[in-house]
Amino acid sequence: MAQYTAQTDDELLFRLRNGDEQAFAALYRRRQGAIYRFALHMSGSPAAAEDIAQEVFLALLREECGYDRERGTLSGYLFGIARKLVLRNLERGRADVPLEPEGDEVAPRELAVVDDPLAGLTRHEAIDALRRAVQALPRRYREVVVLCDLEELDYAEAAVVLGCPIGTVRSRMHRARALLLEKLNHDRKPRIAVDAWKPMRYAI
Amino acid sequence: MNCREFWENLPQRGHDITGEQAGHLAECGTCAAQWGPHRALAEGLHSMVEEWRKMEAPPHVEAGLTAAFRSQAGFRIRRSLRQSWWTPVFAWVSGAAAMIALAAVLMRGHVPAPANVAAPHRAPQSLVQMASLDADSDDDAAVLGEGFVRLPNAPRIDPNEDYNVVRVEVPGSAMIAMGVSVSEDRAAETLLADVALASDGTARAVRLVPDGGTY
Repeated sequence: MAQYTAQTDDELLFRLRNGDEQAFAALYRRRQGAIYRFALHMSGSPAAAEDIAQEVFLALLREECGYDRERGTLSGYLFGIARKLVLRNLERGRADVPLEPEGDEVAPRELAVVDDPLAGLTRHEAIDALRRAVQALPRRYREVVVLCDLEELDYAEAAVVLGCPIGTVRSRMHRARALLLEKLNHDRKPRIAVDAWKPMRYAI
Repeated sequence: MNCREFWENLPQRGHDITGEQAGHLAECGTCAAQWGPHRALAEGLHSMVEEWRKMEAPPHVEAGLTAAFRSQAGFRIRRSLRQSWWTPVFAWVSGAAAMIALAAVLMRGHVPAPANVAAPHRAPQSLVQMASLDADSDDDAAVLGEGFVRLPNAPRIDPNEDYNVVRVEVPGSAMIAMGVSVSEDRAAETLLADVALASDGTARAVRLVPDGGTY
């Protein structure tokens, strides 16, 4: 297996298409974690994430698999399939509960001024709060956060996966972070609306 | 760097700001105040990445996929045996061989003339019949006509055997090698010759066509 770790995704794909099981295992182990996490963050369901991860790699086995190295990386292609499956899953389950109507044209509101929305929380609590906040984001913002912040794709790769211009990815990221902060603040001060928090700060 | 440039050029990883951006934060209280939550969020997301990095699909997913791969690979191998690259080549070669065999069968007793050769003619049956009278003499001229010389090691044509005469262009040197009487000064020339082809398609005898072109 060691000889496979140094090979590129495309080399492994070539080998697996020629029946090399070790190459398939190497490629799967290299990419499955990111695909599974993406599906899990997006769907919120471990069972759905398992199904999606399995479907993504099954698609790779099919001869009519539409991967074209000229159009992007294999990783991006896998994320693209996973995203389509996630969307199908969300449409079936209607699990998406947006914080507000979706749309890039929504102007970002001024951020609430809180020094650290995660202050005072243990690491575990902070991560759990963040996970819930990400989960609560509208789908189009959630996917850019998951791809760029959590799976560390760069904006260009994410733009290929999402099929949109890089500027759109950037603006969605900006908006998504604002929404995350808003959500974290809201959860920490459930009885105090974010908008109402500002005057109180000035009054102190 | 102004406030707009600061926010528009934030790096993808929010906690990795440049020295220039840090300088702007030191000068601008408003941006510094807004940057605090951003930095905290970026660090929180970074912690989440570290925490979730270990999260993977359960082992049974890989087991299922491996089983699918094995069945798929077997299917592909069987397909490749049925439809490998040489299958169409083999089909073409077989077809061509069949055509050649068929042509050989059809050519038995009927050899078409090459493009640059005069139309073949069948020796008159009467000549054959007449030659048959002298069958034991081994005189090809008596069987085939005037001027024919049997090719080396070629069996003689049976007086009752069907044959064709084909007119071809032959180097003078080749005619000399076949035992035909050609003057040495014409050895380099291309000469007209009649070739007698037996019913099995083999050449049996040859004769030089005189300059007039007729016998």
